[in-house]
Amino acid sequence: MIAPPISPVIIFLASIITSNMIFANFLGTCSYISVSSEFKTASGLGKAVTMVMVLTNALNWLIYRFVILPLGIDYLRNIIFIMVIAALVQILEMFMDRFLPDLHANLGIFLPLITVNCAILGATLFMVIRNYNFIQSVLFGLGSGIGWWLAICMMAAVRERMAKAKLPPGLGGPAIAFIITGIMAMAFVGFSGIFTIQ
Amino acid sequence: MFKKHFMHQKMMTKVLIALLPILLMAIYQFGWRVVLLLAVVLVAGSAAELFVMQQIQKDKVKLTEACFVTCALFTLSLPPATPIWVAVVGIVFGIVFAKAAFGGFGYNIFNPALVARCFVYVAFPTHLTYNWTEPFRGFPAGLTAFSGGVDMLTHATPMIGMKAGGELPPLSDLFFGLTSGSLGETSALLILLAAIYLIWTKTASWKIMVSTVASAGILTTIFYLTGVTPTPPQYMLLSGGLLYAAVFMATDPVSAPKGEEAKWIFGVMIGSFAVIIRRFSLFTEGIMFAILIANALTPLLERNIREWKNKAAAKAKAAVAAQGKEEAAR
Repeated sequence: MIAPPISPVIIFLASIITSNMIFANFLGTCSYISVSSEFKTASGLGKAVTMVMVLTNALNWLIYRFVILPLGIDYLRNIIFIMVIAALVQILEMFMDRFLPDLHANLGIFLPLITVNCAILGATLFMVIRNYNFIQSVLFGLGSGIGWWLAICMMAAVRERMAKAKLPPGLGGPAIAFIITGIMAMAFVGFSGIFTIQ
Repeated sequence: MFKKHFMHQKMMTKVLIALLPILLMAIYQFGWRVVLLLAVVLVAGSAAELFVMQQIQKDKVKLTEACFVTCALFTLSLPPATPIWVAVVGIVFGIVFAKAAFGGFGYNIFNPALVARCFVYVAFPTHLTYNWTEPFRGFPAGLTAFSGGVDMLTHATPMIGMKAGGELPPLSDLFFGLTSGSLGETSALLILLAAIYLIWTKTASWKIMVSTVASAGILTTIFYLTGVTPTPPQYMLLSGGLLYAAVFMATDPVSAPKGEEAKWIFGVMIGSFAVIIRRFSLFTEGIMFAILIANALTPLLERNIREWKNKAAAKAKAAVAAQGKEEAAR
């Protein structure tokens, strides 16, 4: 259980560029495809995902280290992580509704969507599998969130620009979004090898 | 019949003219196989475009001249020994998925020639990175040959040699193009002439070319001076496809940004990504990935610049209004 000797900064950069949640791992694509048709909403969701990813990674790391491991209930970890994420998102929403109404108006509607975003659970599981320490985990969550945010913003901007284009029948909406994602992922392959984080 | 189904585009004709000397140089260096490759790619690319565009435009379908440019750019970016089927797979993928699927000419987000090149590079690395043909020299060189023979294969390009830490080729060879490499990228001189012609006829944006090459140059100089890379910057700039891609691929009028500030930022992104990928990633050549990433970021960039400008304008307006109020109060 020794954390890999990688600088947290490298992990942060790598999770944005080389192991981007969308372009390298293809996680969280459901909300990425369905919410990217309008830029403002997409950007809002991206911010919310980033925030939740940092918080859940921190919390899940603590729970894994101080509850799951000592009790020897490793086989329950996926269920526990999902419960933690769902509970955290709910608490966060109530907290924001009460104390930060402006932020809640901007991000609040996306929070329930995030509970089921697989990128969040993915970030947690990657951090457990790769034995990251606390700082590495938090920065990994932050980087993955920012990478996801960047990806959905790029996608939304592209889709906004091609709103007027007349596409071949059957390729509108999600179909062309998958093609665009594929080409973007192919372009991001170019960065592979710059950082290694496992 | 021909006119009815063909869309003439003045700008694209100029690009084709600019490519002509480079094509002749490729024939001189690598033999007449280049022409066969180009012809097959042209036919396959045009057929793919016509087939998909027919689904959208029905019987009004027209073959755009931009399609020829895409095919020519793609062919000249391939290594001389590329198998013909690889080239066909590439161009069909590029035209169908990067151009026709987006609604045809004028709507594509990515440069189709680059998507095609990148696809074959990632999908068939053995065919695109191991077999390099040593070019012919002297006279009549490739003009009487079909292709560089089998014994000339597996010769590393200057870029691969540099990455492996081998000795540098003479600078003049790199400049005039007497080295191995992809078909169109070898001669820096001819590419510079083409660039001057394109800028002179206002076909391509000089801002993109200058910012791409300058940022790549500055970054390699920094890397060289700090000892990150042992290759002097002039070799980095003249070897590989950097110049070719900066002049022909980055300046594609559809996928490149339209705004003035955006063009500068676009070029700087391409130049720096290319150098970073060349130095740090698994791949020897980074310019095509760099341009594709910049293409993907372009709509976001343009949107942010527009928003930022709107905000600045609103601020200026508010300031003027406040001033007016103050004056009125006086």
